[in-house]
Amino acid sequence: MSHSNDIPLVFEGILTSGPKAHFLGSHCPSCDVYQFPAQEICPECLGETQEADMGRRATIHSVTTIRTRAPLGLPSPYSVAYVDMEEVPYRMFALLDPKEAGNYHIGQEVELSVGPLGVNNDNQPCRRPYFSPRS
Amino acid sequence: MVAIIGTGIIPFGRHLERSIVSMAMEATRAALDDAEISKDVIGACYFANALGGMLFGDTTIGQNLTAALGMKKIPVVNVENACTSGSTAYYLARNAILAGECEVALVVGSEKMCVPDFGLINSGATELDTLLGMVTPAGFALRAQRHMHDYGTTPEQMAMVAAKSRAHAVLNPIAQFRKIETVEQILAGPMIADPFTRSQCCPIADGAAALILASDAFAEKYARAITIKSAVLTSGFYDNPTDLVHWQSDYYAVGLAYEKAGIGADDIDVVECHDAFTLSEILHYEALGLCEEGQGGDFVAGGHASLGGSTPVNVSGGLLSRGHPISATGIAQIVELVTQLRHEAGQRQVEGCQTALAHCMGGDKMGDTKSCTVTVLSK
Repeated sequence: MSHSNDIPLVFEGILTSGPKAHFLGSHCPSCDVYQFPAQEICPECLGETQEADMGRRATIHSVTTIRTRAPLGLPSPYSVAYVDMEEVPYRMFALLDPKEAGNYHIGQEVELSVGPLGVNNDNQPCRRPYFSPRS
Repeated sequence: MVAIIGTGIIPFGRHLERSIVSMAMEATRAALDDAEISKDVIGACYFANALGGMLFGDTTIGQNLTAALGMKKIPVVNVENACTSGSTAYYLARNAILAGECEVALVVGSEKMCVPDFGLINSGATELDTLLGMVTPAGFALRAQRHMHDYGTTPEQMAMVAAKSRAHAVLNPIAQFRKIETVEQILAGPMIADPFTRSQCCPIADGAAALILASDAFAEKYARAITIKSAVLTSGFYDNPTDLVHWQSDYYAVGLAYEKAGIGADDIDVVECHDAFTLSEILHYEALGLCEEGQGGDFVAGGHASLGGSTPVNVSGGLLSRGHPISATGIAQIVELVTQLRHEAGQRQVEGCQTALAHCMGGDKMGDTKSCTVTVLSK
């Protein structure tokens, strides 16, 4: 997977570059509202937002495993969750590491990984962010 | 006030040989016959279809229907609003009559979904959540897991929603699934998204339903007219963190509909709600105030939502058994309630019902709904 960084990310602008990626969102300093993915405008005051580091560690708020035919070339089964980010007050929908599909539980601590996983809307292989159990 | 003077519906299921327009024509003709009016009385048409553009490349289909039925020159509005497409069309038609723009309006929803490789519904192909694997069953499964965690709701209680749905659908000739299924059979089915087995997820379907709405003045001579006490359309809050169990958008829409109708949960005799998944119905019992928050599992297990119970829910079989042709669903719910309030529902009649509520939700965004419609009807 040495060339995996050549594969496009499924959605641009949501991750920092570098080996231990963080999620990137936006924050309104006036309203203290976080948004992910980043938005230019705060929905509360309609003022301009600033880029925000959303961190890379989270706790699972709820989790399920999809066992029917998977979309977008994702493995079957695959697990998804709402996770509460540790560094910022934000509950995020997220993919979980498919290697552990079906083995997650509410309250579990997870951290961000990025790797080749499935295809994008152009049916091309792409990288996706997903949370893995914390080592 | 506005009244419903005619209803029409075709059986939901696989209609491989039928087009969106041909299904809509059949439902519309049935509604015109039921209202005993000529097509020339129709002053406006609100036509709902959600997937025709995506699946077939067909758009502005409403005019294809009105042209085929010789309804000339009238305003035709094409409506797409996810699973509430049909009930949004109804909402708009009522508003047009309230505004005095027309006296009689046609509301139709027609959907064709049974095509090869349909797959699972999502809420927008380019949305990040969709690209990260959010499919509709997953969104509700995540709510279910949290409801189980917080309130001890059990897989058996969820399966009871589906078992009840099937038992009701046996009595409804237009329903798609009309065979009894036991809780054990439902739980033994293939798992779709933990904890939902297949029978706990509503099936896709082809189908169409239609309503004729009229002003009070026009409806005066109709003994079988049903009055619309309130009709609301709302969208989501999109707050973060989203509460997966106390669904504030659901509570808000229901509260608004009660307030506008001047009634409360105790006044409702029969409900059609958006049971896309078994747990959805449990959440809606709670938002509708039929039971306390967290007690929805006990509510269905106690038989309160069954025909003969305190507030029968989805006596038609609901989405789970009637089937869910997206844009026809919101109208089919109202067709069922009009039939109930007219006391013409035969074996599935809710005895003595006077007040009914239809509830529908559509789309998913940021752990919230994109739309919610609620309407209160009375004799």
